[in-house]
Amino acid sequence: MSSNSVKLLSGNSHPELAEKIAKVLGLSLAKIGVYQYSNKETSVTIGESIRDEDVYIIQTGTGEQEINDFLMELLIMIHACRTASARRITAVIPNFPYARQDKKDKSRAPITAKLIANLLETAGCDHVITMDLHASQIQGFFHIPVDNLYAEPSVLNYIRKNTDIANTILVSPDAGGAKRVASIADKLDLNFALIHKERQKANEVSRMVLVGDVRGKSCLLVDDMADTCGTLVKASDMLLDNGAKEVIAVVTHGIFSGSAREKLKNSRLSRIVCTNTVPVDLDLEIFDQIDISPTLAEAIRRLHNGESVSYLFTHAPV
Amino acid sequence: MNNIVVFAGSSDPYLVKKICENLSIKPSQVKLGKFSNGETSISIMESVREKDVYVIQSGCGHVNDNFMELLILLNACKTASASRVTAVMPYFCYSRQPDIPYTAKGAPLISKPKEKYTFESHPGTPVSSILTTQRPTSPGARRAVEDILETTIISTLSLEQPIPKKSNGGELHKSPSQSRIPMVPERKENSSEMGSFFNANNAGYKLWVAQAGTLIANLLTTAGADHVITMDLHDAQFQGFFDIPVDNLYCKPIAQNYIQYNIPNYQDAVIVSPDAGGAKRAASIADALELSFALIHKERRSQLPKGPPDASLTSGGGAVLSPKPLVSTSLNGPLSSQDMNPSSSKYVQTTMLVGDVRNKICIIVDDLVDTSYTITRAAKLLKDQGATTVYALITHGVFSGDALNRVSQSAIDKIIVTNTVPQDKTVSFLGKKRVHVLDVSRIFAESIRRIHNGESISMLFEHGW
Repeated sequence: MSSNSVKLLSGNSHPELAEKIAKVLGLSLAKIGVYQYSNKETSVTIGESIRDEDVYIIQTGTGEQEINDFLMELLIMIHACRTASARRITAVIPNFPYARQDKKDKSRAPITAKLIANLLETAGCDHVITMDLHASQIQGFFHIPVDNLYAEPSVLNYIRKNTDIANTILVSPDAGGAKRVASIADKLDLNFALIHKERQKANEVSRMVLVGDVRGKSCLLVDDMADTCGTLVKASDMLLDNGAKEVIAVVTHGIFSGSAREKLKNSRLSRIVCTNTVPVDLDLEIFDQIDISPTLAEAIRRLHNGESVSYLFTHAPV
Repeated sequence: MNNIVVFAGSSDPYLVKKICENLSIKPSQVKLGKFSNGETSISIMESVREKDVYVIQSGCGHVNDNFMELLILLNACKTASASRVTAVMPYFCYSRQPDIPYTAKGAPLISKPKEKYTFESHPGTPVSSILTTQRPTSPGARRAVEDILETTIISTLSLEQPIPKKSNGGELHKSPSQSRIPMVPERKENSSEMGSFFNANNAGYKLWVAQAGTLIANLLTTAGADHVITMDLHDAQFQGFFDIPVDNLYCKPIAQNYIQYNIPNYQDAVIVSPDAGGAKRAASIADALELSFALIHKERRSQLPKGPPDASLTSGGGAVLSPKPLVSTSLNGPLSSQDMNPSSSKYVQTTMLVGDVRNKICIIVDDLVDTSYTITRAAKLLKDQGATTVYALITHGVFSGDALNRVSQSAIDKIIVTNTVPQDKTVSFLGKKRVHVLDVSRIFAESIRRIHNGESISMLFEHGW
């Protein structure tokens, strides 16, 4: 029988995370050259045989200039592995790009998340591993299995270790995230509050209403992503104005685009914590990071060995 | 025209405007932009329900951004109940993987803009041309080492600073140094990576560059394209990658027209194909105009050179030829990897001209100019062989990297290029005298009109419009 061993491939989007996953798995990354031609087309050279191997390609959705480049890289790498007779190709996409364009919210709006799902399948992807999808319904856009992992167990560990739990209240910055926050609040046996916001345009927040009592409490703002950080900063201001002692923000995907850095610098947040699903370039004192590479590595290991992944939904491997 | 909707992608709104003028319609309203996290955002401002939709996007500029934008636009039209969605790609991206010059790993070798280009093909032709390879003038100097690198075509090595810089006031593309995508491997990783690429365990594996052609075709189909219109595909076989109809238009009629009306004494001209791959394309123009035809042929032989020292073109071959001090300095540098890739040093590349061009006007015909290595070398070779004037007739002028610098200093007297890719930069860089831009908007407009009305478009293949 063939060896059918694991091959880990990394694109250019997040080599540090790929290295970490490889280290946890005790493997080395496959030799691969992903470059850009001078005409800006992407070139992929796979430096070793992957015939009949179980291939995992790690590429995350990130980069204000390069997000589409990284996406094309991923598609071309998948296609290259497919034409090179890989046995199974799994795309490991910690932060799924275009996840927020998942509905036809106005006439003729593109459902780009669905398009991306189709493109991945067309390129030849057999399986997708991702983390904290903006809307878990995106799983339904695929005709192939999608493992949507949760950063929650790692986040819980972080909260237990690094915050004063007794006097904490969890806050969801919008109604959409209420479920996520309620689940964390249940596990920590804490109360939770909710901020209701009215959005008129993408990346802009207009009015906010707080539901719940936060006086004298240390607030944990939990969300799936922080992009321009308009929401987080406004929410933290609002919580402090309503008598909160301090505000800590915990997000899964720290995209921090546009003027996020300045906003955070001038904000009254006492801490901002995100996972390393995307590379973060924030040199702020209040910034802290949670490493989720063990979760991704364990998912890869379990997937390769045909074991159940659901253990990871509630437990964070070390 | 009823029920037709034309959308302009952001790659070339000017061409779309011209196409629409020819169709006597207005481009439809669409807002193209990006969210702050870099994701492409589009919103279509008018109804496309049951309409015949044409989305025009060329594969130029920031290729991947433009391509994703095209896919999202096609998909948005499809999900908004358009009856038919046609992708119009004047220049089809990823239709060709650049052949020269690239490193052994497949990544292209990008040279710094120099003050002086040699345009030498390596080695020189076996015919009577004079060998003019520049010898390094100041041995030991860093600059001299770079010279050797520059003149070594298939060097597997990288340059210290692979990103083309601005020079001569010419605006090349902005430095991608802030990008996380490497252009060419850096020296440090190069040496270790190259070593591991060619180590003993990996000996049986031949490196290959992934060909994205089928993928691009499938992606377009997946996004919802029902029909594709393009021009002068690099490989005609590309049409076969699609399961949907592809109309491959030809630039040949307008090119012929240009030769007949704008090149003095064209009857005495020679049509030259700069490589064997384009021979058919060039020969068909030569046949149609009853002109003579010449071909530049490159071959790689697996044999060590016996000829003059300059005739060896190998990775690290340049170092062998160079004075001793250079070898010693280069050993610490990138040239040291010559011993890592022993296989390539057995290859010798020869370039030869088939046909007589002495005292003739030469017209180089090719479908694509990207790095411009091929045509600038061809022009040099033709001038060496006694050609009086060298014209270059090109369909798609991508001119990436330092291509414009190279062309401006090359032996090409006039370059004729179509506007499938915006040519504003080319014209402003080379001047109106040296560049002539052929307009293809009428061909595209007519093909859109005919496809919309269900008429045959085959007459466009033979007659210009």
